[in-house]
Amino acid sequence: MKVITIFKAVTKNWIRSRSGLFFSILFPVLLLLVFGAIFSGIGGTSQYSLYVQNLDRDASGQPTELSTAFIQALNGTGTFAMSTVPQDANATDYVRDQLGPLGGNMRILIISEGFQEDLVNGTLKVRIGIIYDMYQQFEPYMSDEQKTAFQQGLAQMQQYNATDAKVSLTIMLDPADQSAMMVKSIITSVANAFNYQMIGAENVIQFNETSVTTKQFSTVELYVPSITAAFIMTNGVIGLAATATEFKRRGIIKRLSITPLTKIDWILGNVLSQALLNLMLTAIMIAIGWVLFNVRIIPDAITIAMILLGSIMFSGIGMALSGFIKDVEAASAVGNAIAFPMMFLSGTYFPIEMMPEYLRTVSNALPLTYFSQGLKSAMLYKDAGGIYFNMAIVAVLAVAFIIVGALVTRWKEK
Amino acid sequence: MSKAVVEVNSLVKQYGQLRAVDGISFEVYEGEVFAFLGPNGAGKTTTVEILECIRPLTSGTARIFGYDVTRGEDVKEIKRRIGALPQEFSALDKLTVKENMDLIGDMYQKHLDVIEIIKLLDLEDKTNEKFENLSGGLKQRVGVAAALVSDPQLVFLDEPTTGLDPKARREVWAVIENLKKLGKTVFLTTHYMEEAQVLADRVAIINKGKIAAIGSPQELVSQHGGLKVLVIRKGDKKLANLLQRKYDQTTMNSSGDIHVKIDDVDEFWRVMATLTDMKVDKEIEIQTPTIEDVFLKITGGRITEEGELKQ
Repeated sequence: MKVITIFKAVTKNWIRSRSGLFFSILFPVLLLLVFGAIFSGIGGTSQYSLYVQNLDRDASGQPTELSTAFIQALNGTGTFAMSTVPQDANATDYVRDQLGPLGGNMRILIISEGFQEDLVNGTLKVRIGIIYDMYQQFEPYMSDEQKTAFQQGLAQMQQYNATDAKVSLTIMLDPADQSAMMVKSIITSVANAFNYQMIGAENVIQFNETSVTTKQFSTVELYVPSITAAFIMTNGVIGLAATATEFKRRGIIKRLSITPLTKIDWILGNVLSQALLNLMLTAIMIAIGWVLFNVRIIPDAITIAMILLGSIMFSGIGMALSGFIKDVEAASAVGNAIAFPMMFLSGTYFPIEMMPEYLRTVSNALPLTYFSQGLKSAMLYKDAGGIYFNMAIVAVLAVAFIIVGALVTRWKEK
Repeated sequence: MSKAVVEVNSLVKQYGQLRAVDGISFEVYEGEVFAFLGPNGAGKTTTVEILECIRPLTSGTARIFGYDVTRGEDVKEIKRRIGALPQEFSALDKLTVKENMDLIGDMYQKHLDVIEIIKLLDLEDKTNEKFENLSGGLKQRVGVAAALVSDPQLVFLDEPTTGLDPKARREVWAVIENLKKLGKTVFLTTHYMEEAQVLADRVAIINKGKIAAIGSPQELVSQHGGLKVLVIRKGDKKLANLLQRKYDQTTMNSSGDIHVKIDDVDEFWRVMATLTDMKVDKEIEIQTPTIEDVFLKITGGRITEEGELKQ
């Protein structure tokens, strides 16, 4: 009964606090809206800007056929928002002017003069090489008449004076541009495809792409459990730590400790309040995902159990911090110092595979890694292995942290 | 004599080298207002928190209603029977007065009607006001209300008027006087001399962890306060010299006031007769010693408004 009284009081106190409401609910919602807007494609798909200067012209000054075809092939990928740099302009100066004072990513592709001619010559040279190789391979089996006919044919082809000129495209990229590698990779892929087409080769190896899960998940779907998990963590590690420290500093805990209320009742009341807050947060995140981004996540009992365990675990950490720290600013600072690295190292926003080996080791030691992965498994993948492995770790950590929290929460003065 | 509800014997609280409470012994009797008077750091709050069972003692014994403050089962009984207003009382800011009272009340198996307590403390028009919007005086009244909600037999009020303006302080005094009328035993700690003198049935003067004197304000004044003083306002040096020749305990201060310390009623009339003979036409006043004089005599210092001891 006393637990429920504490639960009701601290929950009311939190709901009526604007800053508490903002950081616990509105901030994660805003983050989901931002990530959702970026990755859902609503309002138009995102494209990489690319400036193209085509210097390859025919006698009448018009772009050559093959250079135009290459630009169309790039455009056909749908990946680039392409702009043309005039033939006579200095490409970098022109693009810098176009980007204006706010700047932007300078990505320039220059198609050199002679692109078409070099491409034709290069292709011819490759084709002659192939025929010659074939002739050498089959020569022992040919009759004299066949050999003579082949040699005459080769001599005629060499009259075209096929040089071994290589076609060059110039790609100018900003080293600070995070998408530079991606842009270069796409242009290279298009150029390779163009090469194969010209020499008449076909892709022998083809990809048959299937998902490892029974369902393909969108980026926004993956962000709903990730962001939810991250903010369940911050609610405990930052929010509860700061609130409990504030209660301690202002003597509210001392006042309650004079009554028959026990320390365990106090902690359980706060954990219950955190659990309700986190269930509300999850429901709001799922609802926003559903309404705005067409993300269909239906939470089940396992998801709720995972959220409850996460609430206990992170409340334990918050309580433990408030036991050590005296003033609210310090509690908030320490909470942030723990929460933010944990948020970025636990695979919430970036895949753990991207990290160097030592950071992966750190990631494996973070409670949020298991909670975030467990929540993804419970909400999306529904894979028993992922759910129960992570849930077991979260359960053990929840018990451990709540015990530490209870031990360091002072119910008696020194 | 009423029965003792608080019994403290050779109580010691030690923090490393510092002895915050140094072997004090006293009793508080049922229905009285008992004041613990002393400067900051004297050991008042430490003692009270030991009695409230939220701070462990180092040695000695302390019993509330016969229950030992160090025994687990006894502590539960004590907590059911006491109410407390801690120093610098605070409550949940976003909750209303009633909600905060309910919070404290629900910690007990039985409690009084919260609305009745709110009425008793004259807080009716603030019932649904958030705690954060109250003035300092009103917050203290809520604190006293919270201390009473469990209908305790013994109420600890730790520095209930510290930081309040004179008007708010008088309001809290009225509440404490009302508690006495309700038959509650009140354990009050304060560094305000006047507060102890006005409110307390008995006062214990505590300094540097030790009780320097204990008794009713009248007893303390008569034992330690010294003589009454007859003051002649705005006298002159000639008059002072004349009086000095007859009464050696005569002094004159920088404002020109002449102070004549008098031992008894006979001496008072002798001084008055002298003044009549000398046809002195000045304002005359009799000053009775106060707790402040007692404190000054016992400790050699005064307590500032902020509670610091000034030698």
